[in-house]
Amino acid sequence: MGQFLFSFFACFAALCAAGVVVCKNVVNAAMCLLLCLLGVAALFIRLDAFLLAFLLLLVYAGAVVALFLFIIMLLDTRGEQAPQARRGLTIVPRVVAVALIGAGLASLALRGRLAAPAAADVPAVGASLKLYAYLLFTTYLLPVEIIGFLLLTAMLGVIVLSKREGEHSGYGN
Amino acid sequence: MLPETLNSYVILSAVLFGLGFLGVLLRRNTLVIYMCLELMLVASTLALVAFSRFNGTMEGNIFVFFILTVAAAEVAVGLAIVVALFRRTQTVRVDRLDALKH
Amino acid sequence: MAPSHLAFLVLAVPAASAGFIALFLRRRGGPASALSVLAAVAVAAGAGWLALHGPRFEASREWLRLAGLTVSFGFNFDDLAALMLAIVGLVGLCVHVFSLGYMRDDEARARYFGGLSIFMFSMIGVVLADNLFMMFIFWELVGFSSWLLINHWYERPAAAEAAKKAFIVNRVGDFGFLLGIILCYHLRGTVNLSDLAAQASSGTAPYSTAIPLLLFCGAIGKSAQLPLQVWLPDAMEGPSPVSALIHAATMVAAGIYMLCRIEVLMVNPALTVIMWVGTATALYAALCAIGQRDIKKVLAYSTLSQLGYMVAAFGMGTYFQPQADGSYHTASGVSAAMFHLTTHACFKALLFLGAGSVIYGCHHEQDIFRMGGLAGRMKLTFATFTIGVAAIIGFPFLAGFFSKDAILALAFASNRAVFAVLALTAILTAFYMVRLWKIVFFGATRSEAAARAHEGGGVLTGPLVVLAALSLVAGWRRLYPAAFAGILANVPEAEGRAHGIVLGVSLAVLLIGAGASWAFYAASGTDELERRAPGLFRGLAALQQCFDRFYAWYVAKVQQRAAMALNFLDVIGLSGLVVRGTAGLAGLAGLGLRALHVGRINAYVYWFLAGVAVLWLFAAGIL
Repeated sequence: MGQFLFSFFACFAALCAAGVVVCKNVVNAAMCLLLCLLGVAALFIRLDAFLLAFLLLLVYAGAVVALFLFIIMLLDTRGEQAPQARRGLTIVPRVVAVALIGAGLASLALRGRLAAPAAADVPAVGASLKLYAYLLFTTYLLPVEIIGFLLLTAMLGVIVLSKREGEHSGYGN
Repeated sequence: MLPETLNSYVILSAVLFGLGFLGVLLRRNTLVIYMCLELMLVASTLALVAFSRFNGTMEGNIFVFFILTVAAAEVAVGLAIVVALFRRTQTVRVDRLDALKH
Repeated sequence: MAPSHLAFLVLAVPAASAGFIALFLRRRGGPASALSVLAAVAVAAGAGWLALHGPRFEASREWLRLAGLTVSFGFNFDDLAALMLAIVGLVGLCVHVFSLGYMRDDEARARYFGGLSIFMFSMIGVVLADNLFMMFIFWELVGFSSWLLINHWYERPAAAEAAKKAFIVNRVGDFGFLLGIILCYHLRGTVNLSDLAAQASSGTAPYSTAIPLLLFCGAIGKSAQLPLQVWLPDAMEGPSPVSALIHAATMVAAGIYMLCRIEVLMVNPALTVIMWVGTATALYAALCAIGQRDIKKVLAYSTLSQLGYMVAAFGMGTYFQPQADGSYHTASGVSAAMFHLTTHACFKALLFLGAGSVIYGCHHEQDIFRMGGLAGRMKLTFATFTIGVAAIIGFPFLAGFFSKDAILALAFASNRAVFAVLALTAILTAFYMVRLWKIVFFGATRSEAAARAHEGGGVLTGPLVVLAALSLVAGWRRLYPAAFAGILANVPEAEGRAHGIVLGVSLAVLLIGAGASWAFYAASGTDELERRAPGLFRGLAALQQCFDRFYAWYVAKVQQRAAMALNFLDVIGLSGLVVRGTAGLAGLAGLGLRALHVGRINAYVYWFLAGVAVLWLFAAGIL
């Protein structure tokens, strides 16, 4: 059963990822990303990292992809969907790129064999919530604080970046 | 049926990563490129969790926390930049954004 | 003070004077001329003391050392150098003083005196040099100062052309000289004159005809022998004192001096060539002098002729033949050449300075057919010039008489053909010198300028008197200081019956030449020869010009074409392909690299992928 689930969600995630790359419509691509995240979250659950799975769905699928969709709707890109002359890479670099990546994957598959015990033999430490909290607030306290500052900086940056030029700031007039 | 070993998780993660990279390479819409970047990040989180599970440690999981946070912050700032660019140049196509060329 | 230090001072003082003038006194003619004359006085005093009282010495210091080759800077002060140094110092001083008066109206006086100082420095360097490299360096410097001084009135295209011609023709000779030096170094391992002498006397020297002949090329250039004599008549474009100093007394004599220096390298075949070159030059120049109108050109050809005498004397006298006392050769060539060089320096400088005085008096008129009647107007110049003419034609008991006699005696004993040619040349010498003397000084004045001629003052006539006195006594070898006895000990003298023949011949040529000229030429405004024998006159003119014509043809047709071909190769090949090609390659590389900066993120990511692939290949161990 577990193996079937793994195979199913693995293929699902891979297909949706391909969809992100391939879809012409931006909104479709965003939807495919969402589904891909779903698949990866399911895989997280298979790996007994329940908290992380939910966090993935909450933060990534819920916030990030939603933000993407907002921005896609905000920026009116319909005018550019008309077919235009391809000024990107020509066919040769595309083929070469695909070939390179494929070669990298094949090399990984063939030569990067890892010796690891089966999942059943190793205790699933990631399942307990308490351990996350304990580690985050003792061993990894410093990175947590720094992450806090990072978020603050990101917020400030977003506010500054999104000001319109020449605009009076709000209430004073 | 794919065997559920560490290897297969790592290979899957690599596949997702490769697809994301291809997307960055081949797509011209900035937003799609950004989404493929996120895809790469997700692939790396998958690998981390797999390693953490199969080795019985917590470090990988904890690191995923931080990756998630950073990704969120990065997306916010990046999209703000895209919006600002759009306002200035009225385009999100990457091949039009070549003001650094000369 | 050690003699080597004094010698160094004698060498350095004119150089310092020239440097100071060049740096600070460019526009101040007065101080520059005073400084240069003071330097000349110092040089004359130092040279005199060294020559007469100083010991003979050698001093040397290593200057450059390249792998296996050592160039040293040193002095070889033997009797020969002492005599030459004394001549250079004395004549130099006379010319410097004369120039004070002659150039007093010239605006570029400072440059002129600077050039004179450079010349003194270079010439003393040639005299004192103890090895051929050093001599070559100063040789070139002498050529440069000659160019500088001929070019003094450079606004005149004729002067600029003449200076260029002098330098280039000298260069041709110097090319042979340099080849000779290299060959000497290659075959003998040294260019130091003392070492070469030691090798010769110990009999370990390898036999080589090429070395002396190549070195003689330098003398051909510098002393204006056939076929490189074309520059000397043109060099008369320079001021008269310059002609006196450089082109009569000292620089052109440097070639003779060099020949005497390398006497130890001589071999018989080379000496035969030298002898005939000198003889031919003497005859040729005498023939050319007959038809000249310009007073300085006549004197220039006469200088050429006398130089030919000196070279021929060297060639004959140094001939290696077993002597009665078992020694292998006599040094009479050196003695005869140096003796004639000394007397020639005195009377030729006198003649040139006298011509300068005449030119100055006639307000820079140089055509002898526009002078005349100056005997009464410029008495002192006339008197001294007469002494000079008498000396050069071999008037008994004057300077030239003894030295020419010595050479004729040498010729009589060595080679009768050369003797006949030299005797004929002596007739011609008397002929054209008396012609010059008569037309310039006698008869009615033939131009406005001559009518207003006057003496130039004490500064101009003083040196004339000094040189005239020297011309009177320079022939009496007994009067020479003992310091020079070594060089002049072997002056050839005919014995017995030969003595009578030679004496008779010399007196005969004098009378024939002088008498014929006096009778033939009237002191009139036209050339008698041209009037009465125009064909002969034209023939002589053609003889004079044939060398120039040949060189002009050669340069225009042969050399110019070769130069254009090389220029083409240079422009297309070197400039085009090599220089611009490599620059173009660098440019192309730059363009190519610049093409990567497309500004498109896709392309950048693509290159990123390529880099990752390379890293992957490294990590996988494939690369």
